[in-house]
Formats: sequence, C-alpha cells, structure tokens
Amino acid sequence: MLRRALDSEYLVLWLVLASFVALLPFTPDLASRQNLVNLLLTLLPLLILACGQTLVLITAGIDLSACSIMAVASVVGGLAMNGDTGWLAGSPWAAPAGVLLMLAVGVVFGAFNGLAVAVLRMPPFMVTLTTMMAGSGLAIWLTRSETIYNLPPAFNALGGHLALAAMIAVALAGGAHLLLNRTLLGRWLYAIGHNARMAHISGVPVTGVTLAAYVLSGLLAAAAAVLYTGQAETASPLLGQRLLLDVIAATVIGGTSLFGGRGKVLWTLAGVAFIKLLDNSLNLLNCSFFTITMVKGAVVLAAALLDATRRRLLEAEA
Amino acid sequence: MSALLQFEGITKRFAGVPVLRDVTLAVETGTTLGLVGENGAGKSTLMNILGGNLRPDTGRLIWDGRPFAPAGPAEAAAAGIAFVHQELNLFPNLSIAENLFLTRLPRRGRLPWIRRRELAAQTRRWLREVGLEAAPETPVERLSAGERQLVEIARALSLEPRLIIFDEPTTSLSDRETRQFFELMSRLRARGLTMIYISHTLEDVLRLSDLVAVLRDGALVGHGPRTDFDAARLITLMVGRSLNQLYPSRASWAQPAPAPPGTPLLEVRDLTQPGVVRDVSFTLHAGEVLGLFGLMGAGRSELARMLFGLDPFARGTVRLAGQPLRSIKPDRSLRCGVAFLTEDRREDGLALEASIADNLALVTLRRHAHRSTGWLDLAGLADAVRAVRAAVRLTPTARDEAPVQTLSGGNQQKVVLGKWLLADPRVLLLDEPTRGIDVGAKFEIYQLIHKRADAGAGVLLISSELEELIGLCDRILVMRRGELVDELRRADFDRERILRAALHERSTA
Amino acid sequence: MNPERQRLAMRALDVAPLVLFAVVLAGFGALSPSFLLPANLLNVLVQSSATVIVATGMTFVLLTAGVDLSVGAIMFVAAAVSGKLLLAQGWNPWLVVAGIIALGGVCGWLNGLLIARLGLIAFIATLGTQYVGRGFGMWLTETRAMNLPETFTRLASNRLAGVPGPVLVAALVVLAAHLVLQRTPLGRQIYAIGQDAVAARKAGVNVRSTLRGVYVLCGLCAGLGGAVALAQIGSVAPTFGANKEFAAIAAAVLGGTSLFGGRGRVWPGTVFGAVLIQGIENGLNHLNADPYLYPLITSGIIFLAVLLDSGRGQLQRTLGRRRIRPD
Repeated sequence: MLRRALDSEYLVLWLVLASFVALLPFTPDLASRQNLVNLLLTLLPLLILACGQTLVLITAGIDLSACSIMAVASVVGGLAMNGDTGWLAGSPWAAPAGVLLMLAVGVVFGAFNGLAVAVLRMPPFMVTLTTMMAGSGLAIWLTRSETIYNLPPAFNALGGHLALAAMIAVALAGGAHLLLNRTLLGRWLYAIGHNARMAHISGVPVTGVTLAAYVLSGLLAAAAAVLYTGQAETASPLLGQRLLLDVIAATVIGGTSLFGGRGKVLWTLAGVAFIKLLDNSLNLLNCSFFTITMVKGAVVLAAALLDATRRRLLEAEA
Repeated sequence: MSALLQFEGITKRFAGVPVLRDVTLAVETGTTLGLVGENGAGKSTLMNILGGNLRPDTGRLIWDGRPFAPAGPAEAAAAGIAFVHQELNLFPNLSIAENLFLTRLPRRGRLPWIRRRELAAQTRRWLREVGLEAAPETPVERLSAGERQLVEIARALSLEPRLIIFDEPTTSLSDRETRQFFELMSRLRARGLTMIYISHTLEDVLRLSDLVAVLRDGALVGHGPRTDFDAARLITLMVGRSLNQLYPSRASWAQPAPAPPGTPLLEVRDLTQPGVVRDVSFTLHAGEVLGLFGLMGAGRSELARMLFGLDPFARGTVRLAGQPLRSIKPDRSLRCGVAFLTEDRREDGLALEASIADNLALVTLRRHAHRSTGWLDLAGLADAVRAVRAAVRLTPTARDEAPVQTLSGGNQQKVVLGKWLLADPRVLLLDEPTRGIDVGAKFEIYQLIHKRADAGAGVLLISSELEELIGLCDRILVMRRGELVDELRRADFDRERILRAALHERSTA
Repeated sequence: MNPERQRLAMRALDVAPLVLFAVVLAGFGALSPSFLLPANLLNVLVQSSATVIVATGMTFVLLTAGVDLSVGAIMFVAAAVSGKLLLAQGWNPWLVVAGIIALGGVCGWLNGLLIARLGLIAFIATLGTQYVGRGFGMWLTETRAMNLPETFTRLASNRLAGVPGPVLVAALVVLAAHLVLQRTPLGRQIYAIGQDAVAARKAGVNVRSTLRGVYVLCGLCAGLGGAVALAQIGSVAPTFGANKEFAAIAAAVLGGTSLFGGRGRVWPGTVFGAVLIQGIENGLNHLNADPYLYPLITSGIIFLAVLLDSGRGQLQRTLGRRRIRPD
C-alpha cells in the first residue's frame, strides 16, 4: 500500500486535494469564490513559468534566469505600452505589439542561454546565473528602478481577467504537455536528458534541441510576465524576484528530476498547486510571511527526502 | 618453496554463462606467472576475484597458507596484493606524489600537516624505480598516457606489496619506457617479489615469466614452466575450438563456388588520424558480413566511431554507395542508411531509465513525425515498435512502458539492435554486439545479422571473440595498433594466422 | 591540433583568469588614476572581505562538486541572532561573534547531514535550508531592520598595525583555508573526492565524513562572513545576505574553481575573484559610471571567465584521450 502510494506518479496531486479537504474545516474562506479566484490568478502565471523550467530540467539543464527574463520583459512591455511616455502610447496596436515585444525579449534571452549551453558547452547553472544577474540589472537600468503605471486596459485584462488568463495559461501549459508527449521535439528533449551521448549517436540533433529548450523557457517566462504585469497593472523591474525558488521548488516537488529525463507538465501542475495552496492557506490561517517561507523550505526538503527514499526502495528491489 | 597464492577450483558464472570453470593454479613465492588467453578468456574475472571485486561461485583462494576471501579492494590491498590495471585509476587534478600516497600522506607527528619534503623524497624514490623523470609535484594531467601508466606502476610498488599483478602494462608505453619497464621487472624478480604478468605480447610473457598459464573459455588449458612453451604452442592452446556456441550457417556458404561479392557499399581509403589509425583502406560489399578482429586497444572501435562521424580523422576518404562523404556527422550518417551499435551498451546505446518503446523508437522517430509540426503518429509508432519487438524476439513478458534497465543484458542488447534495425540501414557497424549476453540471445543476434546481410545490407562486425567472427563472417580484417595487417576470405580462415597477425611482436617503429 | 600546441593552449587558459584580473585593474587605472591609489585599493579590500570569507567556504564545497545555496540565509540567521543578543540581552560583542560563527557551523552541519548522510542532492537540500533559514531569520527580526550598538560596529573599524580589521580577518581565513587545502591530507582528499568520488572511496578516502566536514566549514565561513558584514553595515535588514550565495559562487568560479569539482584554489583564485568583482564596482564608481550598469558589466566578466573555464575543460578531455599509435 505504502509502496503503491510512493510509486504513484500523481502522489503530489492527491496530496494537494487531501490537504485542501483537510484544511477546509480550519479555514472555510479557502473555498470562497473570492479566494479561489485569487488563488487561480496567482497560480496561472507561476504554472506557465514552471512549465518552461520543466522543459529545461528535462534536458538535465536548469534556467535560473527565468525570473529575470520576466522582469526584463515586463519593463520592456511597460516602456513600450504605457500611456504617458510609451513608444506606442495611444496607438490602438499598443497592447498586441507590446505583448509581441515582450515575447521577443524572452526569445532573445532564451536564445542567448541556449547558445551558450548548447554551442559553447558552458555549464547551464553558471550561464543562467550570469544572465539572471545581467537580466535583473538590465531591468533596473531600463527603468531607473521605477515602476511603470498606466498600461493599456486591453493588456491588463490578459492577466487580470480570470477567464482570459485561464485560457492563456491552459493553452500554454496544454501546449507544453502536448509538446512533451506527442511531438518529436518532446521525445528528443527526454532522450537528451536521459543520456546525451546516446542521443547524439542515435541521430538526435542535440545542439538544436537543447537550444530550443532554453528558447521555449525564455518564451514561457515572457508569457508569464504578460500575465503578472497585466494582473498588477504595473510593469516592475522587481517582478518575480522572489519567484525563482518557488518555481524550482514547484517543479521538484512535482517530481521532475534535476538529473534530467524525468518530468511532466501534470506533475509540475501538481507542484505549483501545492506551493500555491500552501501559500494561500497559511495566509488565511494568519501565518506570517516568514512562517510560510519556513514551511515551504520544510516541504522542499520533505519532497527531496521522499524522492531519495523512493529511489533507495526501488534500488533495493532491483 | 611454498605457494604464496593458490586458486582452488574457482568457478564463476555471469547470468548463467560460465566465465571461469574450475580453475586451479598455484603461484610460488618469488616467481612470476605469465597469464595469457584471448579477450574474454577469463583473465580479468580471475584477477577481479583476487582483487576482491568479485566473489567466486565455488572454489576458494589460499593466500599465504590460509583461506582468503577479500570483501573488497581495500582488504586485498591490506593483504599485500597490488594491481596495475590497463585502465588508469589516477586523479588527474592531483600531483604524482599525492596520487601515490593519497591515503598515506606523511604527516608531522600527530599534526595534520603534510611533510612535503619527505613526500617528495619518497615519491622520487619510486619514480626512479620505474624510470619516470618527472618532478613529484607535477600534476598527473600534464603527463602523457605512457607516463601515467608508469605512475600507476609506481603507486602499486609504493604499497610494497607481496604480490603485484600487471595487466597489459605496456600498451601505452613508448619503446624506451617499455625497455625500462622490463628492466624494472627483472630487478623486482631478482629481489624476490612475486608477480602475475598478463599480456598479449607472447614473446614478452615467455621472456619475463617463470611459469606460464593459458586460459581459454574460462578453463585452464595449459600451464607449466616457460621452457615447456613457445609462442606457437601458446597460440595453439589459446585458439582451440570452443564448444558451447553454435553459429548459424548462411545459404551462400553451401554453394560449391563462392558467390561473387556484391556491389561496393562502403569504400574506405587511407583513413588516418595521428595517434589512432593509419592508412586504413577496405571495402564493404552489399550482402557481406565483414569481420574486424583485433585485441583491445587495437583501434577497432575508434575506426568505427570515425566511420559514423563521432570522431574526426585527418586524412582519407569514405564513399557510401559510390558517393563520397564530405563531413561525416551522426545524424547525416543515419540519413544515408548507416547504423552504429556501440560497444558500450549502457553509456552509448540506451537511455536506461526510459521505456523499452521510447528506446526502440528513438532512431526512427523522425519518420513518424509530421514534417513541419513534428506531431507524432503514435499509432504508426506503436506498430513499428511491435513489429521490431517481434523481429528481434524481445521477451514478451516486458511491457512497452517498462524501463530498459529492468531487462536482462541480452534483451537490452536486442533493444539496441532493434532500434537500429527499425531504420532499415544499408550499412551496419556493429561493435561487440554480443558482449556479456547469454548463449541463446547470442544465437538470435547472429541470425539477425545474417538476415540483414541476406537482405542486401553490408555488416562490419567488430569482435574480440575470434570464434564469433569465424562463425559468422564472409571475410575478416585484422587490426593491430591502428593499422590493418591482414585480410582473410572465408575459405582461408585460420585461427592461428589471425591471432598471430593480431598479436605480432611489437614493431620497433 | 597537435599535443604540443594543445599543451600551450592549456597553459594560456590556465593563466587567463589572472590576465583578466590584471587587464581590468590596469584598465581602470588608466581611465582613472585615483583608482590605483593605495588608499583606494585598501578600500576595495575592505569592501570585499566579507565576500572573500564566504566565498572561501563556498570554494571548499564547490571543490567536492557540491554547492551551498544556503550561505546567504545562514548569514541572515546569524545576523538576526546576534542583533537579538546585542540589543535585547546586551551580550559582549566578542561573545556574539563567537556565537555567530558557531551558529554558522551548526547550520553547515545540518546541510552536511542532509547531503552526506541522507543522500539529498546538494542543490535541493541547500535550497530547502535556504528557505527555512530565511523564514527563521525573518521571524526573529519580525522583518524589521535593527540598528546595532556602536560597541559592535567598532569591531569593523579597528585596525591592527594599520590593517583594517575585516581585511585582517579575511586574510587569516584565506591563509588557514589555503593551508588546509594545499598542505593537509584532508585538503588533498577533498580534491580527490571532487574529481571522482567513487574512485576516492575505492582508494580508501572516507568520503562521507569529509563531505560533512566541508559543509560545516562552509557554514562556519558563512557565519564569520556574516559577522564581518554585519559589523561593517551596522544594521540587520530583511535583505541582509540576500543573493550572497550567488556572489560567492561567482567569485569562486571567476577565480577558476570548477562547478564540477576537483579544480580551484582559495589563494589566489577565489580571493582574486571576489576582489575583482568588488574592484569593478569600485572602478566604475571612480569613473562616475551609471551605477545601474554595474551588474551588467560584472555578469559580462563572469560570463567570460566561465567561457574560458569550459574551453579549458574541453581541451583537458582531448589531452587525456588514450593513444593507440606512437605517431
């Protein structure tokens, strides 16, 4: 029984549902309409971000720069679209052009990471660490660390309107899911993460596929920035500063392996839901921010311990 | 004189396959035992048992008059047994001295400080012994492969062992270093050290040993004082026919006149890469199984890697069905119909944690994907996987989703072969396709090889097992130190001639 | 490339980080003569001493092919505890410093337990302890800033024979770390573990206990570095020590330490890396450059250093390849 539960790949999803039910008697507000809307609104962009991270982790890489990419995309969008001084101010095309510009920022950063990792064979951790530092520096430089207000309402609706935001997030996460399960590129991503040498010999274009993983991660980070920025109705160079740990924690709690080859969008969804539910319910229980942080850390450690135990059990059996 | 070491009735099986059969052998104190045998004859397994890496299924070791069952390498080392392996086990980021004394660094009394002067002096002493002129502080990464081998020998000597085992110690040494090494061995012998010397260079074995033992198919087929042997007799003993493996026969062999060779498929001319291969030229014809024999380190796998585009070469041309190949890359080779089954199944051949179906499909995935979107035709893919599972006769008990690592070695190898066969290749480069798998699976793989050749493919079969090549091939090429040294047609197959060509006394070049 | 030219290229890549350091210093010196004044250079050293100390501990961890993402959080916890002890309990500053260091050691021991004993991946384990540590620290400080008494901040402005206290402490730490790494069996075994942990275990090195010790050392350094930074800054803010783990990793890597273990030195490598990062900031300051540009330039230089290092690693692998023929 315990073994089957440990083995189930949707263990975390069950845990999320179980904890939701268990928490209800203590915080009836959890199930209130207002709270659920809030929960979903903050969950959706994190899900998009975590999907990008999942793609990179599957190739046995890591993208520490995702949150900085978000910040840069956010301020570039803000600079382009804001109604006062924006380059596109007043244009009816401000919102769509701004979104495209933001996505382009994500692609450029992702391509830089990807080229350094795939072509120059630099370690992903250091590459994305430097782009993380450069990205957050760039975002602050572009705005002189000011927040940008007065964005087009059409743009704000993308992140702030639950139905719209949900459609975008579901489309992107669903796209990532299909990409991984039903396309050539997806299978190649797993193959590289499992064994890059073997993949190379088997004719997988390792360089191109690795590059694609980082570009997609950048693109999804920029898409998450669109939602976050719209939700806040402000573009901020500090956007996502605290999210990096949440993103990695969510993917790892879901079961995606840092060694590559293992990971699913559904797992990541479970991990994101877990982190967000934790945030939300502890908040409703009047726990302070620092308690929430500590509990998150404990949960990450517990997930890692569970994974290590699972591996040991499976090895003992083999 | 008493025996320092005795093997008593040692038997060992891997997955049911016997690799050592009832080996009984004694090594007298102060003598040198020369151990010879083909690749896979059981020499390494025997030494692994002595070194505590493996345990015998039956039989026992007697060390210094007492039964001895080392639980691990540390215990064997503590008993005074030292190994000099063919593979180097050094830390390239540490100095020579630190590699020699990593866990025995001389300290200042009870303080944790290393006494560097003493360390250097001790190291220098052992380096002088092996004839390596390098400062003890030199990082090992700055040394050539030959120099590293000498460091490995110095490390073994520095343990001041009672028995030292040399496993092919001269393969990466230069001529000068080899001469110095032989002088060292005579000095050690004069000092009364007991040694086991394993080598393919039979003249060296005969010159350096007191006693010679020959292993074949895991059994001791001859041993005695070296004066009882000469190189010719050793070769005869080494190659005797093995009885436990059957080989399928090809229809074309039964015909009275040999079939004319098919059209040339793969034409290799003057392939050269300094330090690896030189002037390699041969032609692989359609419908032909061409064997490539050589000892370990002869450059067989390296040649195959170049042909597939994994390693660069400096000079030479490769033509595929008449078309010259310019820059060779794995994905391009694949598209031209070349398949490459590598010798290291676990490292290069499989994604061990991925499913059987994913492993089988990987090479041919592109064919089942939509040209522009990459959308996979899962039903078509499943059909192909099912078809190839049947073709390679993969065990039906394993589900498609099961991780490959749960399969036996033979079935894992069938998965690797299957993924390449799915690509329907014209040229198959097979590097040790039957290493470490059981007899039944071997036979099935042999049949598959013949079937591909009958269908018009050209197969380049690399193997360390001479029997296997003789049983399967139309023609055999022999490689030694990166050069092709002999070529035999099926009618002329002669075990002794092949082995002599592969073993030939080292050239002075 | 023939082996001789490969060896030459290898030497060139070996000294590349030092050349980079010299070029940057000389460049700033040429653009702004006041940059090279002894007083300013000393200033750079004072500013970088906390990073040097933390990065020294990080170097030990990186040498074993691990990573410690929790050092910033350890610094913060240490700072929060010492703030409490100084303000609420009125402890003697020296006692507080000792307490901080011990606390860092305990945190490091915890990391070591998770990694060496329970077999967690270093990246995840220290990510988790980072969360816990940050949360704990914020709970202690109630997310308010605390100003420390002058008795404590005086520790940082003390001088001994003209050498500022922080520089002296950093120099002692570096000296000790250098001696441990280069002159003791433990240090050499750390290098062996980083190169190949399995081979090291086979050779008889006690890998587990060495790893545990390495994380304790890293924790001790984080605590001490936290104390030095705290005395210099004089207050505990919720962002204290934030992203210090990345600065420490960057300093070590800039100094030639490999993320894959087995390669790197505290002296001169890590020290130069930390001083270089601080020097760039100081130099840009002297040039009156836009302060918002600092992180861009710093990360550009780190990127360059990583690029050089990975080129070096690839060359290394081709050099180590076995040869079949003598030609």
